[in-house]
Amino acid sequence: MAQPHPVPAPSDPALIAAWQAGDEQAAAELVRRHARPLARFLAGAGAPEADVDDLVQEAFIRAFRSVDRFRGQCQFRTWLMTIGGNVLKDFGRRIARGRKIMPLDDGVRDTTGDPHDHAEAHEAEALLAAGLKLLSRLQRDVFLLRAQQGLEYEEIAAALATTPGAARVHYHHAVRRLKETVK
Amino acid sequence: MNDRLNETAQSLGARAAQRLDVEATAQKVVQRLRDEPAHRPTWIHPTWLRIAAAVVIAVGGAFTLRQVWPGSESAAHVAHFVADDLSDLSTEELREVLSLLDEIVTSDTVAVPESSTDLRELDAQQLRAVLRSLEG
Repeated sequence: MAQPHPVPAPSDPALIAAWQAGDEQAAAELVRRHARPLARFLAGAGAPEADVDDLVQEAFIRAFRSVDRFRGQCQFRTWLMTIGGNVLKDFGRRIARGRKIMPLDDGVRDTTGDPHDHAEAHEAEALLAAGLKLLSRLQRDVFLLRAQQGLEYEEIAAALATTPGAARVHYHHAVRRLKETVK
Repeated sequence: MNDRLNETAQSLGARAAQRLDVEATAQKVVQRLRDEPAHRPTWIHPTWLRIAAAVVIAVGGAFTLRQVWPGSESAAHVAHFVADDLSDLSTEELREVLSLLDEIVTSDTVAVPESSTDLRELDAQQLRAVLRSLEG
């Protein structure tokens, strides 16, 4: 008896086309695929943890509403992260207009594992997060897309409308400055 | 050092990503797409943008033309030059101009009200009629 072939998951471009044709579940599937990497990117870029959920939603809403402008120059996920960067920038402006940044509640911190390791990792993350805030937005985005998301320079360049060589230079400048902060 | 930096970068934001309820986020996004109409900046309709651009080009072009074209002096400039010319005239010359005007007014070719032959007796409306007839 022949085994039924597993149905391959639809590609991102296929889901985008389905969404453009009015399929809401295609949009939901794209969120399921890319929400966590986007959340990591946003948190790495400085989004307060308490607001990451809202920022992820906003980034997806903007992406779906302007998906006609996505020409496939890079992966959908990479394009989504550039939109996330814009959403975070707008969020930062709103905060600067008066809202206070609340310190992270101890209740939402991960307290599992070795306390010493955890403290060390947390310190390194805090130093890196502080260092990222000192970079230009382009340097920060290039660094995160490369170091955190593992993207190639060609992909980063296509998403940020620059050249692979320039992306490489931005990455190395970012690393040099971050080393000074993290050491 | 680079490895440590990359390792830290990869763990950065991992906690926030783990806390995210992906399914709930997907449903909220779909609901918002359904409920919230797409915001379109209707106040900048492309047609109005085109009209505004055309007006700017026309006004700017006219202004530039007036600045660079020697023959395009404005009425204000003309009036200024006429006033300058009159002020250059001596009293005698001015009397001659007035008498010449009186001659023109009293001649048959100009429509002057029958009741008056003296330019100084004409009111504004009558003076306008005289000027119009002088235009030919």
